[in-house]
Amino acid sequence: MNRTLRKLFSNATSLLGIILLVFFIIIAIFAPVLAPPLSDDPYQIPRMSWDVNPQPPGFPMSDNIKDMYKYIGKEVKYDKAICGTAQGGYDIFYGLIWGTRTAFKIGITTVFSAMLIGLFIGSIAAYFGRWVDEVLMRITDIFLSFPFLVAAMVLTTILGRGLNKVMIALIAFGWMGYARVIRGSILSAKEETYVMAAKALGVRDGKIIWRHLLPNTIFPVLIQASMNIGTMVVTAATLSFLGVGAPLGYADWGQMVSFARNWIVGAPGHAGQYWYSVFYPGIFIILFVLAWNLIGDALRDILDPRLRGEL
Amino acid sequence: MIAYIIRRLLLLPIILIGVTFLIFCMFSLLSPMERLATYVNDPSTLKNPQAAERIIEKYHLNDPFPLGYIQWVKRIAKFDLGWSQAANQPVWDAICQRFPATLELVIYSIVPVILVGIWLGVISAVHHNDIIDQSIRVTAIVGWSLPTFIFGLLVLFVFYGILGWLPPGRLSTWAQDIVYTGTNFHSYTHLVTIDALLNGNIPIFVDALRHLCAPIITLSYVYWAFLLRIARSSMLDTLRKDYIRTARAKGVDEHTVIHKHAERNALIPVVTIAGMLIIGMLGGVVVAETVFTYPGLGFWAATAAQQLDYGSVIGFALLFALIMVVGNLVVDVSYAFIDPRVRLE
Amino acid sequence: MVNDKKPLLKIEGLKTYFFTENGVVKAVDGVDFEVYKRETLGLVGESGCGKSVTAFSIMRLLDYPGKTIGGKILFKDENLLKKNNEEMRKIRGKEIAMIFQEPMTALNPVLTIGYQISEALMMHFDISKEEAMRRSVKLLKKVSMPIPEQRVNEYPHQLSGGMRQRAMISMAMACDPALLIADEPTTSLDVTIQAQILDLMKSLLQEFNASLIMITHDLSVIAEIADKVAVMYAGKIVEYTDKKTIFHTPLHPYTFGLLTSIPRLDVEMKKLNAISGTVPDPLKFPEGCKFNPRCKFATDKCRKKEPLLIKIEEGHMVRCWHIDKVKKEMRKGFLVGV
Repeated sequence: MNRTLRKLFSNATSLLGIILLVFFIIIAIFAPVLAPPLSDDPYQIPRMSWDVNPQPPGFPMSDNIKDMYKYIGKEVKYDKAICGTAQGGYDIFYGLIWGTRTAFKIGITTVFSAMLIGLFIGSIAAYFGRWVDEVLMRITDIFLSFPFLVAAMVLTTILGRGLNKVMIALIAFGWMGYARVIRGSILSAKEETYVMAAKALGVRDGKIIWRHLLPNTIFPVLIQASMNIGTMVVTAATLSFLGVGAPLGYADWGQMVSFARNWIVGAPGHAGQYWYSVFYPGIFIILFVLAWNLIGDALRDILDPRLRGEL
Repeated sequence: MIAYIIRRLLLLPIILIGVTFLIFCMFSLLSPMERLATYVNDPSTLKNPQAAERIIEKYHLNDPFPLGYIQWVKRIAKFDLGWSQAANQPVWDAICQRFPATLELVIYSIVPVILVGIWLGVISAVHHNDIIDQSIRVTAIVGWSLPTFIFGLLVLFVFYGILGWLPPGRLSTWAQDIVYTGTNFHSYTHLVTIDALLNGNIPIFVDALRHLCAPIITLSYVYWAFLLRIARSSMLDTLRKDYIRTARAKGVDEHTVIHKHAERNALIPVVTIAGMLIIGMLGGVVVAETVFTYPGLGFWAATAAQQLDYGSVIGFALLFALIMVVGNLVVDVSYAFIDPRVRLE
Repeated sequence: MVNDKKPLLKIEGLKTYFFTENGVVKAVDGVDFEVYKRETLGLVGESGCGKSVTAFSIMRLLDYPGKTIGGKILFKDENLLKKNNEEMRKIRGKEIAMIFQEPMTALNPVLTIGYQISEALMMHFDISKEEAMRRSVKLLKKVSMPIPEQRVNEYPHQLSGGMRQRAMISMAMACDPALLIADEPTTSLDVTIQAQILDLMKSLLQEFNASLIMITHDLSVIAEIADKVAVMYAGKIVEYTDKKTIFHTPLHPYTFGLLTSIPRLDVEMKKLNAISGTVPDPLKFPEGCKFNPRCKFATDKCRKKEPLLIKIEEGHMVRCWHIDKVKKEMRKGFLVGV
């Protein structure tokens, strides 16, 4: 494990991944300090104006909104939009900061839940084999017959808008990869001597799965999970972009990009005049995903025994 | 091999039942009123209890669960998928009308993805760890991390906003007039580029191609990065195999070693992945079409989802799942043809 | 057997190191030997001692991060290490051919046996595909493959282990090479098949007038086929002599140990005399003589200074400080009954 960590830090690309990740973690932790919430729901992006058009960085908060906050007793920390405003006057800076929390929430919740389901189904299928395995694997196949984004879109539409619905949809169609990986590695580990020995000694089935099999099959799952966080966050952002994800005004990077969609081309002759409306949320999504992918990629190289420097 | 194919075919009905059942389960999550709405083409009907009752009766919407499923499958078999509010026509008609546009996009995207992806993956593996490999890898991981919708917007911004070369949509207005309402233009295949060539109308062909380019670039960049990674690691694995050393020990030249000995073996797993690629692409189609307002199935489905037009969304899910199932079957069978260990079983 | 004065292959001071992330592995560290025409050299040692790496160094087929950094490989008086890739390619298969340990993994699973044999021919001779196929059938007949006309169209997984190794051998012999290198060719086979394959190789060597380097950890294979023997330990040759001497008067404690670890029926032995200890970590070879931690004759001298490979008598070279002690031990000990 020590060796793994050392290698993660010595590899340039994985180091970049770690730095990016630390950057996002700091933003997420200090979100209330960096961008103090102006309403009861901190995930609601405050508006700097009621303009439809995006406004460039440095745009001041309109007076009537300032008055409104004064009236309800909220202190406005920034009276200028640091990164500009999106369509509808939403403050991009605020959205970026709290969107980081949203991204972590989506990524970690969905991957963790999907992993647990996959772990459960995969280990049961592999351990009991025969018809249990057959049935569970066919169910997995059926879930795999849907393109992930399409399935998530359809289920979210049916469940109704909202971040929780998005996460349910992502989990419902996100566990199959884990089930397969865990099943595969347990099947090969099952033949190993230590499991045979435990079985011969009369150790209970549940205990064998827990104590012997899972620890030996956890690495491939971890690699997959790390890469998967990026995919989950992107898919959630894509759903928001398509208009079936987070509710209007929710601090979510995907929605902020979708705000920018109508403005990206700009007025004739002024291409790129609204660059800030897509640039900031876009770069945050890309870097967040890149961070997890770089770490996952490096982990795979390090933990894959075939790629170790053997003689 | 025949046994293998038969086994694979026997699995097909099970998967089909499972897939339709799963979609029906999702359908059942809707409230009875919402379910009813998917079969109604006129909103005022919903306010009329007698008319609503008639439709509930006709479509067996109140039947208990297993019976309801059977009735539903029967209707699907007759292509009765309900009414699409987003398209203002029956769901099946909406699908038929938009299918060619999406097909055209996917066909044109999949070719560069497979050729470029595999080619670069092999090059990357052959030059393992040197500068060529590193730069290909970085390009790939960036591509893989780039969400389709953001990359699509970037393409739109550069090629339309700044350069004005690649406009969104499927055809310019003047071309639409010729293709859809003109008397001299025959739609043989409904794939505009091919129809244009068959009609000998080069301006239409160029116009269609101009509209296709941006979504193709968007779809393919993300997916060739994906395929490249698979092809590279599979090729690296293969190049370590004993039989590659055997071939070299026979004095086989490097070109033959790579293209005859290694590639054939390395591409066997890649074929399996190609199935997953189709899955990914079908998802990407929704995004690419939405970004470029390309009037295909994906754009329609996204619009329908925004409008909570459940009938269209369910129909769309059904169609894409079926395409996937068939696609996977084709991949599995072709796998058997490529790998002699399976073929001669 | 030794007719020609000039050796076919002469290796001098060969050094092949692996530059791994964890340090340099001196897999082959100064190896010298000679192979004469029609002669078979047995290269013996435990796994990881560098015998296979020696073979791959000769073929110049080392995997990354292995590199030959010193010495000469003189084949027909030409240094193979000076050849460029294309010249080397023309030698592989044509002049020097190789047989591998595991015929299942050494044969390409997606190409027919016939293609894989005829490819060797087509790479080195200007002949048509059909002609190459015809010759492949003939070659398969020569290695006593049953129904060769049918086998050429089959894939490796359709053949049994022994048949695969026969196919492998016919592939190696296809271009009538002067030197054959066999890397544990019988290890993965059943005992009965092992004997058949060894017999086949012996008769083929005679027919083709070829020399052989037989790499093995199995002394019974040496007894069967070798003329001379080089015993390798930790990247170096520790004893180099002819077959008779190695079995009757071995002088290196390691060779001694290898021989006594073979169960014998003709001498009553109290227990199987396995060599104590394990193969040293290639990253951390001991100081002095590499064998000293496992050697019962080891003294301080052995721990400090590495002995040279010295000629004890004509055709017998040993790398040890305590040859006299070993001789004494032998006299009273293990070889009494021989």
